[in-house]
Amino acid sequence: MRMKRLFITKENLEILVKHLKKSCDEFIAPKKEHLDDIIFGDAKNDGKELLDYEGNSVISPRAFLLPQTEELFEIKSARNNRFVPIEDKKRRVFYGVRPCDIKAVGLMKSFFLDEFVDEFYQQKLENSIFIALACGKRCLSKSFCHTMGAGPVASDNFDLQLIPISRGYLMEAGSEKGKSILKKNKKLFAKANLKDEKEIKDRSRHFIEKDKEVNFRKLAKLIKEDKVRQEAWDDIGLRCVICSGCITLCPTCSCFSVMDRLNGDKGIRMRYCDGCPYAGFTKMAGGNIPQPQHKDHIRRFFEHKLNVDVERYQTPSCVGCSRCIQTCPGNISIRKFIDEVAGIK
Amino acid sequence: MKNEYLPVRVVIEKIIVESTDAKTFVLRPEDKTSGILKYKPGQFMMLSLAGYGEAPFTFASSPNKDGRFQISVRRVGSLTDALHKLGEKDIVGVRGPYGNTFPLEKIKGKDLFFIAGGCGIAPLRPLIQYLFKNRKNYGRIEIIYGCRAPKDIFYKEEIKSWQDNLNTNVHLTVDEPDESWGGTCGVVCVLLPKIKVNPETSLVFLCGPAVMIKFAIGDILKLGFREKNIYVSLERYMKCGIGKCGHCYVKGKYVCLDGPNFSYTQMKELGIDS
Repeated sequence: MRMKRLFITKENLEILVKHLKKSCDEFIAPKKEHLDDIIFGDAKNDGKELLDYEGNSVISPRAFLLPQTEELFEIKSARNNRFVPIEDKKRRVFYGVRPCDIKAVGLMKSFFLDEFVDEFYQQKLENSIFIALACGKRCLSKSFCHTMGAGPVASDNFDLQLIPISRGYLMEAGSEKGKSILKKNKKLFAKANLKDEKEIKDRSRHFIEKDKEVNFRKLAKLIKEDKVRQEAWDDIGLRCVICSGCITLCPTCSCFSVMDRLNGDKGIRMRYCDGCPYAGFTKMAGGNIPQPQHKDHIRRFFEHKLNVDVERYQTPSCVGCSRCIQTCPGNISIRKFIDEVAGIK
Repeated sequence: MKNEYLPVRVVIEKIIVESTDAKTFVLRPEDKTSGILKYKPGQFMMLSLAGYGEAPFTFASSPNKDGRFQISVRRVGSLTDALHKLGEKDIVGVRGPYGNTFPLEKIKGKDLFFIAGGCGIAPLRPLIQYLFKNRKNYGRIEIIYGCRAPKDIFYKEEIKSWQDNLNTNVHLTVDEPDESWGGTCGVVCVLLPKIKVNPETSLVFLCGPAVMIKFAIGDILKLGFREKNIYVSLERYMKCGIGKCGHCYVKGKYVCLDGPNFSYTQMKELGIDS
């Protein structure tokens, strides 16, 4: 059962943040950076975290769990193939993560811990605390978190969630880790009242789009059975210029490659983010590419989010953050694609 | 906890030159109890060469109790090139076994038919050796093996001995014969009329170049072989072997987890010709 939401003032939230900072090695929070871009970064020592902010960060906190490049093994001796896994035991607090990105963390967790466990991803998750910050306003005109079942308020996958209201915040725990933080700091909280809950409910209504309820199981089936108009796929293929913006910003993209860097007999084995739109993504030694057509490459991005993951996790793995739409120079829109295939005008 | 990406060290015990660009490596894990030795015919491993990364290779020998296994490797890229330069007693890393096995239950009592092209014989060899170890459990065995030239034929001596098994036929063909070659010339399909198995009940296993698989499947379907009884070992680019890196994904399936062995029925669902 869900724990009751508690009320916290802005001043007390600042105190809570101070306490949290003391208990972690990195306090990953939204910060205003160059050109006022909101970017997640470590604010443990510089105090530059934003307690609250409008919109969403340019890049999701995925960058801390599956970084662009990540050192996996120290190669102690290349000649003898001696590898030692690189540990990352840093205790991290992720503060102010939007519900769309929180849902993404939950999906990535299922993916990396499924069947074979990805130790490198797991070690970072184990020592992390996720504090969601629910949305009061729609962040971008193109975002559609509500359609994707991700926002404006997260339903799970967080340790703690902050929900802004006019007189401060409500806070709730979503895990044992979260509960113990609330318990330790119970002096900072007061009871919430019915008015607060009503305010949240009323505001959530702004996110609901009229007549827009997508049956994602049906949509997945249409994709699976190849019943999407060929022209729709062709159009996406034509528009994609392989800039890699979508796969870089998508909070649920997880593809990677592995490479070794040597300096003499010692070195590092690392992985780096890779992605399906790239022409060489499936190229084998010897040069054979099983799916040589470009339009099939970017199609995979859509199939994966809207069909494969619906089968695997009973939910699409597009969380409606709209970062890919915002960044695409060819104006490809997964939202429009969903609307078209689901028959919503 | 066990780190799935951590390779275990294996010693190259012996290197056998198979052709101008292929070698077989006999490998022995330093740890005799290593889980890698628990593989079954059809599975693969990720081979690690520090400085060059990792690449998938199917086991090329049948599981046995001597603590060794083999891989056969064509020199086609940077990792395989570096591997070919190694010598006996050198160390490489491996992890696995990964992927599915051949349908070992389904084949019991059946006639079995193998079609291999070039180095495509390597992934089928563990199964062929496995069958000969338990010969009485299976019906007739027919093997077609095609290569570019006589010098490209793998496991030459062993293949001769396959022919000595009861109720077994091995047919070889090459595209470019030399003076020494007295056998069949042409693609694998030219040998199909010689095959004496019942198409309706036998199982077929194919591995080889994409183009060979495409034409061979077309021809054997015409002979009455059943789609669900045709199995192909697929080759894909892989970086992890455990369903994470995304490279071998095809329509919701991962060749590393759901394959590498697929029935033709499954291949059609995945939209793969070969």
